[in-house]
Amino acid sequence: MSLDVGLALLGWGTLVGVDLVSLPQMMIARPLVAGTVAGAILGDFETGLTVGVVFELLQYDILPVGAVRYPEYGPATVGAVATAHAATGALGLGLGAVVGLVTGLVGGVAIHLLRRVNSRVVHAAAATLESGDPRVMMRLHVGALLRDVLRAALVAGLGLALAWTVPPLLTGVMTPHREAFLGTLLAVAAVASGLAAGAAGTLRLVGRGPNLAWFAAGLGGGVVVAAWLQ
Amino acid sequence: MTPRFGRALLRLFAVQASYNYERMLGLGVGVAEEPLLRGLPADGTASPYRGAVARGARFFNSHPYLAGLAVGAAARAEHDGAPAELIERLRAALCGPLGSIGDRLIWAGWLPLLSGLTLVAISLGAGWTAVVVFLVVYNVGHVALRWWALRAGWAHGVRVASALHHPLLQRGTALAGPAMACAVGAALPLTAQYLAAPFEPWARGVLAAAAVAGFLAARWLPGWVTGLRLGLGLAAVALVMGWVWP
Repeated sequence: MSLDVGLALLGWGTLVGVDLVSLPQMMIARPLVAGTVAGAILGDFETGLTVGVVFELLQYDILPVGAVRYPEYGPATVGAVATAHAATGALGLGLGAVVGLVTGLVGGVAIHLLRRVNSRVVHAAAATLESGDPRVMMRLHVGALLRDVLRAALVAGLGLALAWTVPPLLTGVMTPHREAFLGTLLAVAAVASGLAAGAAGTLRLVGRGPNLAWFAAGLGGGVVVAAWLQ
Repeated sequence: MTPRFGRALLRLFAVQASYNYERMLGLGVGVAEEPLLRGLPADGTASPYRGAVARGARFFNSHPYLAGLAVGAAARAEHDGAPAELIERLRAALCGPLGSIGDRLIWAGWLPLLSGLTLVAISLGAGWTAVVVFLVVYNVGHVALRWWALRAGWAHGVRVASALHHPLLQRGTALAGPAMACAVGAALPLTAQYLAAPFEPWARGVLAAAAVAGFLAARWLPGWVTGLRLGLGLAAVALVMGWVWP
């Protein structure tokens, strides 16, 4: 990965991280979008799209209501795509998914920590806020936004650092046969967890009411089309 | 649209930027409301403007896309000279409905519906163009909802509850659930086929078994078996198997 490509991915990963909660929530943080654009930056649309689809399925597991804690899959997908691209061959998708999951975990913790820091800052400024000075309010708000930019850059940077360091560590360590076997198992693990989490998360949204029949109808239609395509 | 209204709308896109566990969206709501309060008398530290700004930044929580409804309504109420207690009660009363409607309409409806349709399109070979269409269509609805919410809040003031009965909002909430369920239901088998295509037959068998086992675990132990834990757990098993298998 060249320096300019790395910087472009870091910039994209940061934008994606900020979009999730802070600004403007236009869903570039959605793994499908984050992954596809990361793939485009690397000149590898196929990898970007495939990794994006896997993490999009994992995203169905998350319902971001209230102050619920959840992993952050946007910058994680950028790191995962970069890893999968660097580890071309059998290890690609599976290794990318592992890097993405670890980055997503760290991203979720980082969001929680940021909210705690924001709480302390706002608590400390409570008296000034009650004075109704708009400049104080704006300063606190912009300060929190800048902290989120920094947080997103650090999380995206972690994903890219892993993408830069992990694939070379595994190259040449195993026989080609074992590498292919391990790569397939890791890819199967990533896709299986995506499908399982996607199905379970969707059913939680659907519930046991009338929407369940619509889900069953869609599932049946999907199975028929999939069988017909095969 | 006046410049103040436009400024408030733009600031609403960052309404969650200072999200925290103490005031939740409150600070962001105050920042978004401030341009609409500028016509109020602002002389002295105890002016109506300063009082309204302070009230605007207090605790508030709702779906971010619908927060404009509270912003517009509270600002309008301030201009209409409503008592401070009434405005506080209005803000408190809006938290629940705006959160509930927004979550059902967007997080559990519009977003997974379009995401599911995009997964179907990608599985059928649409490629990255499906992602572009997703982004455009999603944001047409997203921006329209933010714009409508702010305008409706400003138009109705303290009687903003009537805006929540808008036919489009009611019908949208009623249709989004079934449409989402159908779209994501169709997406799951098609996506499974798309992702499993490069695998050898034995790997597809392992994939099917692992996906079913993971699904059952996530259903039986919700909250404990999450997608992240499942992914990391299965990856750990795959690493061990890949390393020790002869």
